[in-house]
Amino acid sequence: MQRRAISLLAITALAVALFLATVLRTNTPDRERAFPTGAIRIGVDASYPPFALDDGDSLRGLDIDLAAAIAQEIGLPVQYRNIGFYSLYDALISGEVDALVSSLPIDAARTDDVRYTSAYFNNGLVLAFAADSSALDVEDLAGKRIAIEYASSADSLLKAWSADGAAIQRMPYELPEHALDALRLGHADAALVDSLTYRLYQREHSQWSSASHYITHDPYAIAVRRDNHDAWQLIEAALDQLRAGGELARLIALWL
Amino acid sequence: MHTLLENEVEPAKTLRSLEMTRELGAATIVQFFPWAYVESLEGKYDWARTDSIVRLARLQGLRIIARLGLTPGWARPAGTTLTNLPDEAFSDFADYAAAFAARYAPDIRHIIIWNEPNLSAEWGFQPAEPDRYARLLKETYARVKDANPAAVVLAGALAPTLENAGSGVGLNELDFLTALYRLGAGAHFDALAVHTYGFRAAPENPPHPGRLNFRRVELLRQIMIEQGDSDKPITITESGWNDHARWLHAVRPSQRAAYTIRAYQYAEEHWDWLEALCIWALRYPADLRGYPDGYTLINPEFLPKPVYLELQAYARGWAADESLWLDPPGNN
Repeated sequence: MQRRAISLLAITALAVALFLATVLRTNTPDRERAFPTGAIRIGVDASYPPFALDDGDSLRGLDIDLAAAIAQEIGLPVQYRNIGFYSLYDALISGEVDALVSSLPIDAARTDDVRYTSAYFNNGLVLAFAADSSALDVEDLAGKRIAIEYASSADSLLKAWSADGAAIQRMPYELPEHALDALRLGHADAALVDSLTYRLYQREHSQWSSASHYITHDPYAIAVRRDNHDAWQLIEAALDQLRAGGELARLIALWL
Repeated sequence: MHTLLENEVEPAKTLRSLEMTRELGAATIVQFFPWAYVESLEGKYDWARTDSIVRLARLQGLRIIARLGLTPGWARPAGTTLTNLPDEAFSDFADYAAAFAARYAPDIRHIIIWNEPNLSAEWGFQPAEPDRYARLLKETYARVKDANPAAVVLAGALAPTLENAGSGVGLNELDFLTALYRLGAGAHFDALAVHTYGFRAAPENPPHPGRLNFRRVELLRQIMIEQGDSDKPITITESGWNDHARWLHAVRPSQRAAYTIRAYQYAEEHWDWLEALCIWALRYPADLRGYPDGYTLINPEFLPKPVYLELQAYARGWAADESLWLDPPGNN
């Protein structure tokens, strides 16, 4: 009786061990399975500075440095393939590359084929205003002069707000940089521009003090094939590490 | 305005597209009527869809320039694409063009023979062949004129490209048109259809054989003059600027609106030989999720883009005589 009980216990323990081994194997990303060539092959469209640019000798930019940092976290070498923007997803799905690090807006319609990581940059619209003025939000805009790029998404949003009854003084400019000039020079109370333009403008005008907050979200993320769950887990974990350690913020500040 | 109604499923959307074309202030549409859709079975024409488009356009008071092309499967070798038109099918295509011209004679006079024959992709992925296109023109021209003597047959529509002879991509439209005249094709078209895009250049940017820009059409006009064909008009059946954020050949949305209006102003002031300037394109039934979306004037949900509203204000005379935007603040 006792022997039978011990046998049952042993069988149960073995079953549990097998189950745990299977579960752990399933949930622990396998580096070789994720990147079978022994390197992380990155697809990037190097025609979108400062995210990626081919200067003739090498590829440079935030996406390039970010991909290198991720590869370092994972412990594999990185290889870049410079691919036109509209061929990136084909290259990923066909297996020519393992991941796309190319300032990709998240496209919900593609999620049958690809899986996106968490966003590493938000290029949504920001409402910028002078640092010495009181903070502005959407409900504070009545009667305010708002500078925007003519015919842009910011222009459409401003028109929608106006249609909702807010008495906003629209100040259209040819370029988003002109809208920020208007804010900086006191011709406007606020400017509504995309985050990238705002950051680059701030770099150019480092003596200018301003503040901003996001109004819309346009997240950029890394894409992997949907069936390559290991790659997604490894890259997402690497991104988490870079985020937690401050390296992602440092790279963004370096380039944008 | 170039419409894409052949891709619509619901008549209500065809109607809304045409309404918005009229509301824009356009008088003319360029519309594709694919041979492969109408005669998918040899000898059996199905005009239902075409009839509907023509009727709805008439109700909106719009003139149609009909673009004919795309070969049905039965008329081309297996494994070839819809743009492949073998010599043996020239007469079948001419039959279709003649039937089309006769059926729609009360509504449609202008008929374009094929599309961008100087591009390999539009010519069955074969090298551009002016001699074969000249033969197609000759055969089709006669049949269309027999069917409707009032028809205006347009050659082209030639695509803007810098490719030279021997390229696998195509042949630049200047050499292609010159070759057509050398082959005697000048007798087999009444007007020339041209595609001319601005890419990143302003509409006033001067033409040059080595440059793609809006005024490149003037080089084709010059060839027609040199060939003694200056009485023939040109119709621009595709044109415009693209404002897609991730395309290298795109401009800012502000520039797109301004350039488009300035293109019309330039054409009105300088090109008395131009019959119509048609923008590519009104709308796609669904987003293509790529740079071509940056060419449309309204989105799939029929929301007008800013360029549509500015063009409407210009076409209808609503536009105030002032700049679309303020001067850069630094200039004040």
